[in-house]
Amino acid sequence: MDTCTSLFFLSLVLKILNMTKAFGVLFLLGIFFLLSLQKQDGKIAPYKVILAEEMTVEDAIIALGGQKSSHHIQNVDQQKALIGKELIEKGRRKKGLFKSKLISPYFVCTDCHNLGREFEQSNEQSPEKRLEYAQKNKLPFLPGSTFWGIYNRRAFYNDDYVKKYGDLITKAKSSLEESVQVCAKYCSAGRHLKDWELESIMHYFKANELKLKDVELTEEQRERIRLPQALNSDEKKDLLNVLESSFVRGFSAHFDVTMPRENRKYGVGGNIEKGKFIYENACLYCHKDGRVTFLKLDNDVLSGRMFVHHMEGYEDRTLYQITRYGTYTMPGRNQYMPRYTKEKMSDQQIEDLMAYLRQLAQK
Amino acid sequence: MKKIILVLIASISLTSWGQDITETFNSTRIINSHSPEVLGAKTWEYRIEHRFGDMAGDLGGVQSAFGFDQAADIRMAFEYGFTKKWMLGLGRSKGIGAPYTSLIDGFVKGKLLTQNKEKGMPISLAYIGTTYLTYMKSVNDPNSAANYDGNFLRRMAFSNQVVISRKFSDRFTMALMPTLTHRNYVLYNDLNTVGAVGIAVNYKFTKSFGVIVEYFQSLNFEEEIRPNFTNSLAFGFEFVTNGHNFHINLTNARGFGDVQYIALNQSDWAKGQFRLGFSISRNFKIRRK
Repeated sequence: MDTCTSLFFLSLVLKILNMTKAFGVLFLLGIFFLLSLQKQDGKIAPYKVILAEEMTVEDAIIALGGQKSSHHIQNVDQQKALIGKELIEKGRRKKGLFKSKLISPYFVCTDCHNLGREFEQSNEQSPEKRLEYAQKNKLPFLPGSTFWGIYNRRAFYNDDYVKKYGDLITKAKSSLEESVQVCAKYCSAGRHLKDWELESIMHYFKANELKLKDVELTEEQRERIRLPQALNSDEKKDLLNVLESSFVRGFSAHFDVTMPRENRKYGVGGNIEKGKFIYENACLYCHKDGRVTFLKLDNDVLSGRMFVHHMEGYEDRTLYQITRYGTYTMPGRNQYMPRYTKEKMSDQQIEDLMAYLRQLAQK
Repeated sequence: MKKIILVLIASISLTSWGQDITETFNSTRIINSHSPEVLGAKTWEYRIEHRFGDMAGDLGGVQSAFGFDQAADIRMAFEYGFTKKWMLGLGRSKGIGAPYTSLIDGFVKGKLLTQNKEKGMPISLAYIGTTYLTYMKSVNDPNSAANYDGNFLRRMAFSNQVVISRKFSDRFTMALMPTLTHRNYVLYNDLNTVGAVGIAVNYKFTKSFGVIVEYFQSLNFEEEIRPNFTNSLAFGFEFVTNGHNFHINLTNARGFGDVQYIALNQSDWAKGQFRLGFSISRNFKIRRK
């Protein structure tokens, strides 16, 4: 190969390299362009359309000029909410080798509280409607109020709970955080929550707060709440009242005494089907195999006979007494049975339960 | 043989259940024997068990206040359910004195099968493995079964028991208890390994009260070897309260633990050598299930 030929080939290689470089540069520029376009896309879509039904009740209250709750949380931290759920259901946080101390060695929150909706309508709280919904959805029929929507409540340990807890609930009556602490320490015979535990549980509550779709409002009311700028102050005030009465802001809780003998029907005329449901989803929820207690109950003749045998008395094994008073902790036995308030189990439901127990005893 | 017994039990069905059957017996013991029941997870139990002296016969009667003046055996124990199906226990017995006194027992018990109609399981079955150790002073007499002579292993004994039960109705439960005991050191006219089969029935009158009958048939009786040993027969009443379990029983067995009431029982009902006994157990649920 002569010198001219060599030079020709060299110049050709350089040209090709230059072209490749140019293509490379062009390629990179193209990518940057595309990326910048994408970024541009993000910028030109600033509005996230929130459907009226997905708007939270808390946000709606604030938008209508109402007060923020004392436990207001701006945004849910999903991670904390998950930890909160674990604490509520298991009583402790477990991750790898880390195991936090049990909040209570005897109970977890879900022994007494459901986590989901308990009524067809958000502003109901009658025991009949609660049972109806529980039967329809196969829910436990528990003595505590559901945690669903607890974030939106403003009053806790209402009415007669002061008779049981006295000054312990003075602060808790208007504070969700204090209520949770009272429940952890006293109701579940456990301990006060640490800050991270309380925060996690609060985020769980926030994650399960009520949305406009959950409460009793018309479509039109929801749309008006979504665009509060279009409302004058009177309209806002009216709408706020409507909104605040569309769900239960604090469940009523009235204690009752043991039904007097002369009022007892001993199950006669009671609804056996309802009684069976209550027995299986209230009594056996804790007493089956002695899950939470030492008293083991089952769908057997001996369990039925135990209640029938004591039905005329005023003692722990008298259904009319135990449902209304429950039991108390004592040294060496910290498990106890909470009472059913009138709002959580009606007298008629106790009679339904008695009717089923009488049938069970005759098996 | 075991298979035949299992099939026989399985073939009798008076009632049906769609879930695990529990409360075959109300506590972890029948009378002398273990029951198929376990404590459940994270539950402690403290037991106090007592056997008085002979009610009648040469040592009983008015002079000994029908046995109340004497204590044939006393056992105190802590037992613990560490899972839903497994428990262990550590106890200390006075011992019946022939040869054991100061007897420590440790056992592991597992509920391996649970009666469940839906799952096609006709019986409940539990296994109990127990180790015994006496820390009594060794006796110098070389003809005594308590002549341990510096040999630690002589102080040990073991038992393996399987409890097979079936709850036939809400009220009636029956159990079979094949048991094998082994004592490391015995006298020339005794056997190291003694087998027995127990049978027990429980009838509950109410949720908290029932009666129990328990009998153990030894499988190792021979004319020359173990001539004076007897089978244990016991009748018991059971009371259950919230967290407590009380047993009051009449039995010819003097001691607690398989190695005593099966392998070392010499009391005879016909000679008035039966006694009143009781056991009290208290549960402490320190952690929820």
